[in-house]
Amino acid sequence: MSAPTTTSTVLAASGVTMQFGGLRALNDVSFSLNEGEIIGLIGPNGAGKTTLFNCLTGLYTPTSGTVSFRGEPLPGDPALVTETGVARTFQNIRLFPSMTAEENVLVGRHVRMKQSPLSSLLHGPGFRRSEREARERAAELLEFVGLRRVTDELARNLPYGDQRRLEIARALATEPSVLLLDEPTAGMNAAETENTRQLILKIRETGISVVVIEHDTKFIFTLCDRVLVLVQGELLVEGTPDEVRGDPRVVEAYLGAPPEQVEAQIHEAQEAEEAADHGAPGEKQLGGSS
Amino acid sequence: MTATTEKKPPAHAAPRPKGIAALKPHTTTLMVVGGVLTLLGSFLPWATFVLNKGPYPAQATLQNFTAPLASSGFRLHLVLFGIAAIVVALVKRIPARHRIARALGYGTIAVSVINGLWITVEGGGLGAITASEGSVAFGAIVALIGGIVLALASRVGDLEPVPEIGWKFNRWVEWLILLVVIVLLLLLVAAVLTSGGFGATATYAGAVFLSFLAALGGFLGALHAAGLLGWVNALFDRHRGYAVILLLVAALCLPLTSAGTEYWMTVATNIGVYAATAIGLNIVVGLAGLLDLGYVAFLGIGAFVAANLSGAAASAVGIHLPFPLVMVIAAVIAGIFGAIVGSPTLRVRGDYLAIVTLAFGEIFVRSAQNNIGGLTGGSNAIPGIPPVEAFGIGFDQALRIGPVSLPRGVLYYFLIVLLVAFVMAVFANLKYSRLGRAWIAIREDEDAARAMGIRTGPVKILAFLIGAMLAGLAGAIFAHKTATVSYESFRFLESVTLLAAVVLGGMGTIPGAVLGASILFILPEKLREFADYRLLLFGIALVLIMRYRPQGLVPDAHRRAELVEEPEPIDTGGDKPTTREAVAP
Ligand SMILES: Nc1ncnc2c1ncn2[C@@H]1O[C@H](COP(=O)(O)OP(=O)(O)O)[C@@H](O)[C@H]1O
Ligand SMILES: [Mg+2]
Repeated sequence: MSAPTTTSTVLAASGVTMQFGGLRALNDVSFSLNEGEIIGLIGPNGAGKTTLFNCLTGLYTPTSGTVSFRGEPLPGDPALVTETGVARTFQNIRLFPSMTAEENVLVGRHVRMKQSPLSSLLHGPGFRRSEREARERAAELLEFVGLRRVTDELARNLPYGDQRRLEIARALATEPSVLLLDEPTAGMNAAETENTRQLILKIRETGISVVVIEHDTKFIFTLCDRVLVLVQGELLVEGTPDEVRGDPRVVEAYLGAPPEQVEAQIHEAQEAEEAADHGAPGEKQLGGSS
Repeated sequence: MTATTEKKPPAHAAPRPKGIAALKPHTTTLMVVGGVLTLLGSFLPWATFVLNKGPYPAQATLQNFTAPLASSGFRLHLVLFGIAAIVVALVKRIPARHRIARALGYGTIAVSVINGLWITVEGGGLGAITASEGSVAFGAIVALIGGIVLALASRVGDLEPVPEIGWKFNRWVEWLILLVVIVLLLLLVAAVLTSGGFGATATYAGAVFLSFLAALGGFLGALHAAGLLGWVNALFDRHRGYAVILLLVAALCLPLTSAGTEYWMTVATNIGVYAATAIGLNIVVGLAGLLDLGYVAFLGIGAFVAANLSGAAASAVGIHLPFPLVMVIAAVIAGIFGAIVGSPTLRVRGDYLAIVTLAFGEIFVRSAQNNIGGLTGGSNAIPGIPPVEAFGIGFDQALRIGPVSLPRGVLYYFLIVLLVAFVMAVFANLKYSRLGRAWIAIREDEDAARAMGIRTGPVKILAFLIGAMLAGLAGAIFAHKTATVSYESFRFLESVTLLAAVVLGGMGTIPGAVLGASILFILPEKLREFADYRLLLFGIALVLIMRYRPQGLVPDAHRRAELVEEPEPIDTGGDKPTTREAVAP
């Protein structure tokens, strides 16, 4: 709760608790995301990270606690949350498989397009203009995430890494202020992971604040401004990557490994960071886990 | 082909039985032999004696057998199959020869089996198609062997990919080609409709019709294998606006063909009613992915609304409104019911929704049967609905324009063609819009759709509402055309048939729904002797389609894209994690 709760706070959760029957998946979680910030959310499997995203986006209604966006409480409906400006990706990719890459992004434009059912029926000039604009925007976004060349491919035929990036493009199409990424590099190789890291930095440059869940601590520590550690539904530690890295509670509870090993991991992370600074992004390798 | 395969034994043919694989260098010979046998089969008599119902069609009975070169009907089809097979065997420049041979072979097999079986059953045994009392007729057997040899040739040979033909001409030439194609299509539709005739005199209508369909399938398969259908398709895409107008004009010209009789106009109008309804259903099922098992109720609502506002003596309301107004009212009332039926989608999904719609369909039929509110006439139906009138012409009248005289019912046919065109335009325009994409997104993954900002509730209700309105429009025309509206036309079976039409033709496509509706409503017309087995045949056909062509006869372009080669079992995205962790409780 060190984050300043000034006007620059975009998204804030306060006292969010989520109870599934006897299981308390989230217990009194509070945090705030500032304008232009990248927050990393880490924690062991089953810690409640995805559940927190679901609570933030209205997919779940928290048992108690509130979520607010720029000081206003967020509506409890995923569609309205997206309209308000919070977009997300899913841990297990949830694209529209038999739509093309372009159409997936166009669906993301849904909330920002104006077409009455009548104009959809008549395809008048207003309709054609809005379609053209949407297609142009989709092309830009596909270019932005590096998928322009697969515009007309079916989503289900794309390699795994491309699917993850298409999901990001689709989320960006909703013109969010906040982007929630649930394990965006799961199943990717080192080069693809690095590409994704660059992509997230680029997204931040456009003024979007990001929360990213990841298991890859190296990735998180080199990307994020702030890191939250969630363990068994509790927010255990919060701080800069350096603070979190050194925190003995994190080492014990999350990493669960003897300190030396963690040290080694951290060194690795630092090296990667240096390498990333002057190394060109590696050749993309596709089809990670398919 | 033969030259290259001689050197090395084909390694990839290993799993095939040795005996067949050994034939590999001889596919050309096989194709010639198959073609010759097919020809020979067509030149032989097919029935040894005159069957009880009279001589078998195409002069195929020994006693009235005509000279080989005067063959007609299915024997003519086989002559064409045989010649085509021989040409394809000998002209090595033709691409995808094995693939063409396969289509010809399957066509030949189907034609021989249909006619051979028919004669066998009608004639009371195999003697009817082989030898009996000193007379012989081995036509069916020889042609069947010919077809099998052709299929065998394609099986041992390498099946080539469908070639892509990139011919491009000057715009006018391409328009001319399209014109010719569409005229051929019109004649073909007329031929399919009329083949075998109807009524008491057309005793072999079923056999002639089925055999004709099989032959058509074989020829279209061969054209597709040669890449020609793909090319025509590309032509259509290139000149879409022109092609659509031509198609509409061609449809309006159907009364000028051999199908221009009162009977076929009635059949075509009925097909049109169900095609329009099927396209409406396709919005709900094909686009939005919502299973509706009671959909025909909306057709019924439209029909009963129109019946009550028609001034028919038997109707309770007893007012007579102008027909255009009646159509609007029918659509609106059907749409309101659509929205009501659709509202449970806010709470229930999948199978539960299907049950809700099933229940609605049943409620509608029971209410109509019990003459609810005196609006439906109960088991007496509402008879005596007057025909639509415009410019002082009753729509049930025959028409004479200068030298051209058109049969009774032609005006209803025109009306339904316009309605189908309208419904198609609605479907196509909505499909490629924000709303259409929202429907497809919901079909694909409802939670992800919500996460993209789609308010799924209203969007789904809109699908039901629009689909129901289209059915209501069709119902209004149906009421006037048939002059009697009874609850019996809108039972569960009709809903299933409509759904089958959509699935059979191809979910989410327009030609699919039209083709499906046509097939499912012509077949019973033609196969009256099988009326008792109609459902059984239906079921078998659907099972076969689902097994061998799950994407439907005319698949959605997207689905087609993933089935470029053979429709081998498709792995539908099984390569990504499918745990539904983030699903709402
Ligand atoms: N819809 C649900 N119903 C019941 N239990 C759930 C549900 N969603 C998540 N959980 C439970 O909540 C806990 C946290 O899950 P999750 O948020 O997916 O963890 P993480 O994303 O950190 O790996 C797990 O024990 C999981 O089984
Ligand atoms: Mg998770």
